[in-house]
Amino acid sequence: MKEAKDEIRENDNSYIINVEHLNKQFIVDKQPMEVLHDINLKIKKGEFITIVGHSGCGKSTLLKIMCGLVDYEDGIVERNGHAVVGPGPKCGMVFQDHRLLPWLKIKDNVGFGLKNLPKQEREEKVRKHLEMVGLKGFENSYPSQLSGGMSQRAAIARGLANNPTILLLDEPFGALDALTRIQMQKEILRIQEEEKTTMVMVTHDIDEAIYLGDRIVVMSARPGEIKEIIEVDKAESRKRSGAGFAAYKKRIYDYFFEDSDVEYDVEYVI
Amino acid sequence: MKTDRTPKIGFGIRKIILALVIPFIIVLIWLYATMYTSIPHGILPTIPEVGQTFVEMLKSGQMKEDILISISRVLKGYLISAVLGIFFGSLIGMYQPVKELLVPIITVIRQIPMIAWIPLIVLWCGIGETSKVVIIVLVAFFQILVNTQSGIESTPKGYIEVAKLYKLSRWKTFTKVYLPHAVPQILVGLRLGLGGSWMAVVAAELIAATSGIGYRMSSARSNMQSDVVIVCMIVVGIVGVLMDKGIGVIFAALTPWRKVENENRKEE
Repeated sequence: MKEAKDEIRENDNSYIINVEHLNKQFIVDKQPMEVLHDINLKIKKGEFITIVGHSGCGKSTLLKIMCGLVDYEDGIVERNGHAVVGPGPKCGMVFQDHRLLPWLKIKDNVGFGLKNLPKQEREEKVRKHLEMVGLKGFENSYPSQLSGGMSQRAAIARGLANNPTILLLDEPFGALDALTRIQMQKEILRIQEEEKTTMVMVTHDIDEAIYLGDRIVVMSARPGEIKEIIEVDKAESRKRSGAGFAAYKKRIYDYFFEDSDVEYDVEYVI
Repeated sequence: MKTDRTPKIGFGIRKIILALVIPFIIVLIWLYATMYTSIPHGILPTIPEVGQTFVEMLKSGQMKEDILISISRVLKGYLISAVLGIFFGSLIGMYQPVKELLVPIITVIRQIPMIAWIPLIVLWCGIGETSKVVIIVLVAFFQILVNTQSGIESTPKGYIEVAKLYKLSRWKTFTKVYLPHAVPQILVGLRLGLGGSWMAVVAAELIAATSGIGYRMSSARSNMQSDVVIVCMIVVGIVGVLMDKGIGVIFAALTPWRKVENENRKEE
């Protein structure tokens, strides 16, 4: 198994996202601020990548650069072997604040990115994706009638509606309560297994990163740098109370709380 | 806002009674003044006199004619203002250079009271239809423009990013994101603009006109017909309220999602 993975790695064309030596600066109060420093990340087709880091470590910026919403000047960013110059239909994105348009019914929100399609086909796609996220029957509701979890489901449906090969998720469950969040994590895994979409999720929830990720990218803040990319054994990481899960957790925790073991111990008991 | 259901009926009655308290006091004072003081009837007519004049003006068709003339002027000026106001308001809201070009001069012009425009407009356009329409446009256009601009400008960046993500054209982004977001605010502008138009037309007719409800008032004043003046004032008030209510109903139908949002808010 391990060997097979390595073989794919050697062939550059099999990477759906390729980031090399990416640097990004923002100008804040006329001072350049380094947001991303020398980011190198290769993502294989069908992989689920989670990126963890403090808020403000540039992980959201990295995601937006991948999908073409934010420009970059220094480095290589490729999607499907082509340099990223802007958003494309094959790359969907889900935001933390679901960003459903309040004036559109759920079906029109989900179908928002479906352009130039015959009406029937469009409706069929919307129906299929609403069913996939468990929102059948809410076609004609407005976003304000949905709970936070349901809104996020609708946002995921919108992200998937035009069958992207990549779905980027920017802390999609960050605003949800703990129980809904666990539910949503299970569903996003199910969807990923069904659709085989490559997913990249930014999160600040370490448990979420371990549970979902095939690989976990650990980032530090100011400048945003990749500290480590952890390969995850899914058999271990899907058991939230298992020893393997706890070991991954300790490994990631040590990056963020190098000098405060006390704080860590409390969390560790879960 | 009251949220519970049961006291709603009582609340409605209370609302009506409270709204009528002050008109009732005014009528009492009016009655007292005409019955027990020596104010001449040419200055303050009795209530029955005003009522009689009202009925006469209704019957003779004069009032209908006056109102229709004034309203048709309002409609002309208002439609022009709405189209121009929404157009320029959207441009200013979406394009920074347009904003920098237009906003300073608009801010200055808006400081001039509507009445102060009338002498110049009459000099340029005479006392015919054109001058009324121009004055209405001067009032309503800016109200609609400013509100449109603020609605467009306050569109959350996140929504615009979604449009960018799905590569919507500039026009589509406008019709699907900016405009719907601005609609409630535009409606506020349209509502204020309609009220302003009505006031402007009455004022313009008072000063320079040969027809319309404002003209009727000014000619009645010169004939010392205070009853006609009062009837006209009441009619101006009623027409204004009716137009405001009417436009409110139309706008509620145009923004169905807001009804849902408001209901949710009440439930919470």
